[in-house]
Amino acid sequence: MSDVRNPLPTGTAVPRNPMPTSGTAEIGVSVPNVSVRGPEVPRTIEALDPVFTVSGLSVFYGDYEAVRGVDMTIGNREITAMIGPSGCGKSTVLRCFNRMNDLIPGARAAGKILYHDEDLYGDHVDPIEVRRRIGMVFQKPNPFPKSIYDNIAYGPKVNGVKGKMDDIVEEALTKAALWDEVKDKIKQNALSLSGGQQQRLCIARAIAVKPDVILMDEPCSALDPIATTKIEDLMQELTRDYTIVIVTHNMQQAARVSDRTAFFTAEVDADGVRHGRLVEFDETSRIFTNPSDKRTEDYITGRFG
Amino acid sequence: MAILSTPRSAVQLASKGRPLREHLFRIALLASLAIAIAFLAMLIVYVVEEGWPRLDSTLWENQPSIRRPETAGIQSGILGTLWIIGLTALMALPTGILAAIYLEEYADKTKWYNRLIELNISNLAAVPSIVYGILGLGMIARWMQFGFTVMTGALTVSLLVLPIVIISAREAIRAVPPSIREGSLALGATQWQTIYRQVLPASVPGIATGSILALSRAIGEAAPFLMLGAATLVRFNPEGVWSTFTVLPLQIYSFIARPQEEFAILAAAAIVILLAILLLMNSVAIWLRNRYQKRW
Ligand SMILES: Nc1ncnc2c1ncn2[C@@H]1O[C@H](COP(=O)(O)OP(=O)(O)OP(=O)(O)O)[C@@H](O)[C@H]1O
Ligand SMILES: [Mg+2]
Repeated sequence: MSDVRNPLPTGTAVPRNPMPTSGTAEIGVSVPNVSVRGPEVPRTIEALDPVFTVSGLSVFYGDYEAVRGVDMTIGNREITAMIGPSGCGKSTVLRCFNRMNDLIPGARAAGKILYHDEDLYGDHVDPIEVRRRIGMVFQKPNPFPKSIYDNIAYGPKVNGVKGKMDDIVEEALTKAALWDEVKDKIKQNALSLSGGQQQRLCIARAIAVKPDVILMDEPCSALDPIATTKIEDLMQELTRDYTIVIVTHNMQQAARVSDRTAFFTAEVDADGVRHGRLVEFDETSRIFTNPSDKRTEDYITGRFG
Repeated sequence: MAILSTPRSAVQLASKGRPLREHLFRIALLASLAIAIAFLAMLIVYVVEEGWPRLDSTLWENQPSIRRPETAGIQSGILGTLWIIGLTALMALPTGILAAIYLEEYADKTKWYNRLIELNISNLAAVPSIVYGILGLGMIARWMQFGFTVMTGALTVSLLVLPIVIISAREAIRAVPPSIREGSLALGATQWQTIYRQVLPASVPGIATGSILALSRAIGEAAPFLMLGAATLVRFNPEGVWSTFTVLPLQIYSFIARPQEEFAILAAAAIVILLAILLLMNSVAIWLRNRYQKRW
């Protein structure tokens, strides 16, 4: 299905969780995965095996165009970081990827986002199905006011997952590096956990529904350096199975964890209205060592923003 | 050593005494509370003292009687009140809670008709209960031909408490942080799943408290029943939703209207029973609130 677009010579990475096209889910296609990371891959700005292909994306809140004309790709099993000054539209773009913006009255996206081959905003696409495949971790940990166990089990339950819930819960918590800390108090209220534990619980909760992509909006902004390191390690770990998009204000974090970085900023147009724009999108090493745009350089060196 | 750059004399943590205004404010607060509690205590002491001679089992075992006030009871009134409250709870609570869910979770607040509905519900909550009595008489008793039955009474009182139930349930639902809804929806839950499995459980304490307070209001009402023409000296218990009935406040009203001293005592005893039912319901509300209390 992705062979047409994919310039890789041998084999193509097939999404583990493709959107069902015209009713028939194409699960079970087993083509060997090819990692796009590694030194032998020639430098390209665009991801070679994109999960998302964004073209000409503009997002409106009512009449206000918050973000204008974004083009970027999110590579499969990569970590893509979105950086930029406050208010430049990072969260706005991120929330388009799982159609969370639909929930804001008056919010509207123009342009195109392809998820694998499917138009994410196509008429027949069910946003519920989209969110099931594209999970999200929020800036502020938001565990449900229930037990740790119920927090994890909730996603699989509402999605009608059959199977041993205990195993699902343990697996998700283990993947989120939280199992050892909470295995003895699994029935305790999740709100009794520390902030960092709560955030890892939210990650575990997102993993439990076995999504294809995990979107993270400043997941470490409320955490101390140790919890942050844990979550960063976790992200590295997760890229074996998941594609991650992360919004962060922490330059070092973007540099440490991400494969590609998108730098956004707010620009004032001819009418004096501020719009978020994507300034530069490239491999992270390139963005941080040799950015091609002056504004990117100023921002990452702390001279602007 | 330039660490302590602030001269010692500049550090003044000693109390300079709180300004008078703060003391006055505290006193005003305590005084208001004291007045409220004092009046409540006085009321309770007064009715218990007054009704003491009649606070025995004959009170709830016997039926009212004009000729023998010294042994007359209020059984028909107690059971009538319980019937009305039970039926009202069955009708008004689900309707009110569902309406609140619609208004909070589904209604597009930018649409004029939804804003109109909201405005009207707030206004309805302020309509005097006697007006509901007129409505019940004209619409339910006469036009729908339900007559002066338990059903008519319960429907009328349901209309009376519905706005209060809706408003308090909306407040409870609104108090659930949006981040909980977002978290649920981001996992691929549908809107209904999110409401049913996250929002409602989290707002149970608030909804329950509001509902019980609304029902408590209904218990104390006499005016709409007076309007509906519920008989005051019903000597038999309601046997179903279609039987005639009376309620405690109405019985109390009719006892007090009589000249004999025994009826005044009987009225006081009946008020104690009414207060007991009210306090019982309020303690259920408090228990529910503590039981399901949520921290965010
Ligand atoms: N719900 C909303 N309604 C209206 N305008 C919004 C809404 N959310 C965001 N905006 C506007 O869109 C622009 C981009 O906001 P966004 O939250 O995407 O910024 P951000 O890059 O995530 O900033 P931060 O780093 O501070 O989180 C801002 O000008 C903001 O005012
Ligand atoms: Mg943001």
